[in-house]
Amino acid sequence: MPHLLEMTGIQKAFSGVPVLKGVDFSMDSGEVHALLGENGAGKSTLMNILTGVIPLDAGSVAFDGQPLENITIPKSEAAGIAFVHQELNLINDLRVYENIFLNRELTGRFGHLRKKEMSEQARVLFEELGVEIDPGAMVEKLKTSEKQLLEIAKALFRKAKLIILDEPTTALNNDEIAHLFKILRELKAKGTSFIFISHKMPEIFEIADRYTVLRNGTFIQTGNISEITPKEITKLMVGGEFFGENHYQIRELGEPALELHGFSGSGFSDVSLTVRRGEILGVTGLQGSGSSEFMRCVFGDTASTGGTLKINGAEVKTGSIHRAMQAKAAMLPADRKENSVVPDMTLLENMYLSEHTLSAWNFPIHVAKEQAKYEALKETLDIKAANPDLLITSLSGGNQQKVFLARWLNTDAEILLLDNPTQGIDVGAKTEIYRLILQLAKEGKTILVNTLEIPELQQVADRCAIFYEGRIIKILPHDEIEEHTVMLYSTNAVNAKEAG
Amino acid sequence: MKQKLSNAWTRYSFIFIFVVIFLFYMTVSNGLTWGGVTNILRHSAVIGLVSLGVALVIITGEIDLSVGSMLAFISGFSVCVFNVSHSIFLTFLFALVCGALCGLFNGVLVGEAKMPSFIVTLATMLIYRSLAQYYCQRMDSAVTGGGNSLFKMSRDIDGYALLYGFGNNKFLTIPNVGWVLLLFTALAVYAAASTKFGKKLYAIGSNEKSARLAGINVPLNRTAVFAICGIMAGLGAFLWVCMNGSADPATTGKSYEMYAIAAVVLGGIAMSGGKGEMIGVLFGAMSYTIIDKIIVALKMDSLINDTIKGVILIVAILVQTAGPALKQRLKR
Repeated sequence: MPHLLEMTGIQKAFSGVPVLKGVDFSMDSGEVHALLGENGAGKSTLMNILTGVIPLDAGSVAFDGQPLENITIPKSEAAGIAFVHQELNLINDLRVYENIFLNRELTGRFGHLRKKEMSEQARVLFEELGVEIDPGAMVEKLKTSEKQLLEIAKALFRKAKLIILDEPTTALNNDEIAHLFKILRELKAKGTSFIFISHKMPEIFEIADRYTVLRNGTFIQTGNISEITPKEITKLMVGGEFFGENHYQIRELGEPALELHGFSGSGFSDVSLTVRRGEILGVTGLQGSGSSEFMRCVFGDTASTGGTLKINGAEVKTGSIHRAMQAKAAMLPADRKENSVVPDMTLLENMYLSEHTLSAWNFPIHVAKEQAKYEALKETLDIKAANPDLLITSLSGGNQQKVFLARWLNTDAEILLLDNPTQGIDVGAKTEIYRLILQLAKEGKTILVNTLEIPELQQVADRCAIFYEGRIIKILPHDEIEEHTVMLYSTNAVNAKEAG
Repeated sequence: MKQKLSNAWTRYSFIFIFVVIFLFYMTVSNGLTWGGVTNILRHSAVIGLVSLGVALVIITGEIDLSVGSMLAFISGFSVCVFNVSHSIFLTFLFALVCGALCGLFNGVLVGEAKMPSFIVTLATMLIYRSLAQYYCQRMDSAVTGGGNSLFKMSRDIDGYALLYGFGNNKFLTIPNVGWVLLLFTALAVYAAASTKFGKKLYAIGSNEKSARLAGINVPLNRTAVFAICGIMAGLGAFLWVCMNGSADPATTGKSYEMYAIAAVVLGGIAMSGGKGEMIGVLFGAMSYTIIDKIIVALKMDSLINDTIKGVILIVAILVQTAGPALKQRLKR
């Protein structure tokens, strides 16, 4: 019997950079297939090719015994493939049944909508699924878990044979996950197949039948879940890669600079930590684990809901960025383009933006003084730019990031919160950023680095706090920071193994 | 070199547009005098000041539609204050404070309550003018000084001659009000380009998220910029009463919000915020004043006025936005 889905030798490059290097992927009817890999392994690209979001460069796809060529979104839908994205693609301002029938509305002779009939069909569908959603409710009012189920119902209504679930459990609580899994099992028994993308090991071992691991755009291994352990999978995902020379060295640490007690806020809770002057604390955790939200809250971008935050011994009230800045905290936010770049401004203007808010009552700008300061920081940080009057957008990612680092050094900040500082930066520039982080710590800055890239933490971190579902699940000392140990904790595979 | 020239073109196209319109005016006015030229400044004064305020608002990515109505409201009540207090100083102070309060009202709703500025200022546009018209009818004619449809300064008050003189006399061959416009343009250029406050406005308009995470208090600065816009409208209103000695709540400042936006856009400031230079506003406002004068010189029906202004706006924006896009396509 031919496979339900057979993808062979898939290749894809984005502007010359290969993302998929001849990947094979196949699965059978009625199975839940876990697609595994680290961030950037090529999972999303592969799924986007399958669903016609992006075209492939080379390779072939066959679905349900038929070759699929020049895949487009409608074509893949017609073949019976549905993609339930992580950020759900429902229209909040429409009713539940209207979403299900979107673009497939039942109409009467004069084009009027047969609302009752659509609503009734939706009700029947939900009944079969064992889902309690009112077909007439506004989607906006639904819980995330209900939206997730609605997406699946929508896919089923469109006669999907294969449903791709991209991290479907991220926003769900345990009961909701159990409900979702129950429905998935029932559908599986009726012959629907699933590709399940997730980082959470316990779930994968609960629901999946088979797995395929990708790493750096290549196929690594496929097999039955029953024949492998979470530890082995983690090892396959991580591989033996190692890059760059390690410049890490042990430093003298000073008195406590950042003290947290039972610190809680939206997305994380009960964080207790003491970080000393000159220390580099790595913070990590998968998307949605709360590590990024934690950093933002320390910087005052959001208000905490409990616990205390002390900087240099003095308690700081959260909820105001300006207050955090006055307490000498600084944050390099994740997603540089969105959260750091002011695209219409020059390097110098971008660099001075934050300092200006601290010296706001001294209205005039002293250009010569600012340029001198820029030159000094340019020297320290090794920023490669011809002159300070260039637009920030004319620089490479790495150099932009250095300008933003300069923005904060210019405020005399002592606590640097770096959220994913090497995102979208090429390897050479990454190494330079690590070097700078180490150098700054040596000069007495206290640094928190939040990243998903473990090799990065091995290069810089004195300790590494691992977040899982909003809490610190483990703090590893420098010597124990190791990709697959970190992965074990951040997917909670440790406890999955103990439970199994 | 070619690159530089085309950069300068997109950046300073407002000067080119101004020069073209000005040259056209010279040819049709048969024998333009220096007095005629400086008269352009006189007639640009009020709309120019208002436009400077609106430009600052637009740089932050917002809009203020209420300035025309503010002009009617403030100028009307300034006349009343003068008639009652007989004091030029109090009248001046009232115009500025009243403008600041009108603007602050917009600002608090937009900045702190986070309402869309289009809606807020649309509402206050209706409110301010309606209040001016209502009280013009209801108040004692000794206070309004005119009939029930006009605010008129009393000519018997001592300060009247001084005030009216200020609005209509010249200093060094240039009308006083023209000097005021030039002075405030210079101030606005300085504030926007060379103060920390100005940079924050650009940053907010360019990328609000980045601006906030860089530590800028976005709500506070938004509120402030609307208040400043109101002060500029107050100043414009004061000049208006100096020049005319009266204010008609139904027609004073009518459509000025639209002319102001047009002048700002013609001056090369992006509606999306974050881009453009204040000096462009002066040229934008003067360009529109000249169009009025061209229509008079050609003895055309004044009702065609707005058609021509509208067409010029479309052409100017086409040049600014479609120009670079067209060039890109030709390159390929």
